Amino acid sequence: MKRAALLGRLSVLLALTLLAGCGGGGGGSSGSSSSGGTTTPVALTNFTTITVDAGPSVLAQGPNGYIEDNVAYVTITLCAPGSTTNCQTIDHVQLDTGSVGLRVFQSVLNATLLSALPNQTDTSSNPVGECYGFVDSYMFGSVRTADFSIGGEKVSSMPFQVAGDDGAFATVPSLCSSGSGTDLNSVVSLGANGLLGIGATTTDCGSYCTVAGGYGTAIYYDCPSSGCSTIIGRASAENAPYQQLINPIIGMPVDNNGSVISLPAAPAAGETSLTGTLYFGIGTQTNNTLGSAKVLTTTNSSSVNGAGFVSAVYNGQTLPDSYIDSGSSLYLFVDTTITPCTGDYMGYYCPASPLALSPTIQGTNGASASAAFTLYNAATALATNNSVTPGLGANPDVLNILNGYPNSFDFGLPFYFGRNVYTAIEGRVAGGATGPYVAF
Amino acid sequence: MTALKPSSRTQRLLIGAALWLLAAPAHAVLGGSSASIVADRLHMAANERASQGPTFTIHALTLANGAVTREFARRDGVVFAVTWSGPSRPDLRQLLGGYFEAVQTASAPTGVRHLRRPLAISHGGMLLHAGGHAGHFRGAAYLPALAPAGFSVADLQS
Repeated sequence: MKRAALLGRLSVLLALTLLAGCGGGGGGSSGSSSSGGTTTPVALTNFTTITVDAGPSVLAQGPNGYIEDNVAYVTITLCAPGSTTNCQTIDHVQLDTGSVGLRVFQSVLNATLLSALPNQTDTSSNPVGECYGFVDSYMFGSVRTADFSIGGEKVSSMPFQVAGDDGAFATVPSLCSSGSGTDLNSVVSLGANGLLGIGATTTDCGSYCTVAGGYGTAIYYDCPSSGCSTIIGRASAENAPYQQLINPIIGMPVDNNGSVISLPAAPAAGETSLTGTLYFGIGTQTNNTLGSAKVLTTTNSSSVNGAGFVSAVYNGQTLPDSYIDSGSSLYLFVDTTITPCTGDYMGYYCPASPLALSPTIQGTNGASASAAFTLYNAATALATNNSVTPGLGANPDVLNILNGYPNSFDFGLPFYFGRNVYTAIEGRVAGGATGPYVAF
Repeated sequence: MTALKPSSRTQRLLIGAALWLLAAPAHAVLGGSSASIVADRLHMAANERASQGPTFTIHALTLANGAVTREFARRDGVVFAVTWSGPSRPDLRQLLGGYFEAVQTASAPTGVRHLRRPLAISHGGMLLHAGGHAGHFRGAAYLPALAPAGFSVADLQS
């Protein structure tokens, strides 16, 4: 309880600091520092603070209270379109390079703002709903627009998802829930007040969602007052007016080709929190240059597996369905020679002593870079109150013989500790190379 | 990962559900007859293409939006495995029938740490894995006891 209260105070302090920063910075969207031929220094505003901590204080409350682990959070601001006063700053929004689009829980939004956030409407003039799937879960809710800002960046009238919305959206359509998994309909179920997806693609569904009909957890719905049932196609527009949720970065005026996540290294024993920086744009300002980072091109949207995949080379095997994902909380890979945990931590790796592993990551351009890391005992790490646990790994195949993940190595948030990791968006030129790519 | 282990109470419930499924497959393709593949195809408005394995037939159902579901049937028509791949998951409630609840149970977070992670389930005679990430999902469900001679798990990857 003490812990939760302390974190609550820290969050408030962080939010106040950011507000002060915004006010003092003098207008987020000018972005004028990139093209000036003169040397007049311009205060850069294309960044915001990343915090890895226990999560929103509500998580720790009650008998089922928990603390988050290896989740990167940022603070955002939403305003009613065109308003500078009907605004709300929202802390503890999870930063996710494994998805695209902003999603915020309805329960987080104050009533005044919520009522001023217009619903997107379809060709039947009905509100648009969305079901967005994750590996073991989904989020369902309305698509609304807001003026979005983060650090000094702003995107006007940006579509985003209000998850767990009420009215026509109160009932999750069976075509959404039938994809299986947990309904992420609350802050506690996600472990965050929202999700900021800044992955490889420009929109959250691409050409797949421009086709109406079909079945499954796809994705956009026509939502008359009687509820959402019909799947509709939505254009993957990359310029306003948008239809599908966009990668918020493509709506930024200048720094719209990708991002850099910069986190310090974490001590082997872990720690309760970690602070770093998210930069918007790659090679657009003096603070987001590629430098010596190696560009590893990833698969694109027309690939069989979709966009954003690289090859990992591990123990002599090439694993072509691998990816780097700030929204995964650990390294997920198959190595039956590593001692697995038992009991409550079954599935995780529990090496008796720290284990140096040496995967490399290869781009589709043939370039490769070392992704070496030290794997620690998960049962030891997770028995602490630490929310920053480096070298945490698990085997997704542990419970059956299907060997469902023979070609995959997921480099989750611990991979980012001690690195600058660049994520360039598909089709965008960033620092002289064209996305999608990752670089580090 | 504690979520991968259902409690003994839910385990009993799930085994009950699995027995019920085997008695009455209804729509469920997994463990059902090839007639259920037709039902699936209609339900999904999919194109079907069949190919022959040594002792089984693979029915590939492709949707208008490109997602693919493959259903593996024995010569007598019993469907013993399904796989899926695409930007969204298929209607697993339809494909898995009574086994669907086992997936739901395994997906539910429990314990002091919550993790979003791929699933690997061995339950009530069914093996299932469901992985990928937002924008690309794939997985397989398999009933080893119903598989014909000549089938190997590696065929699911083909």
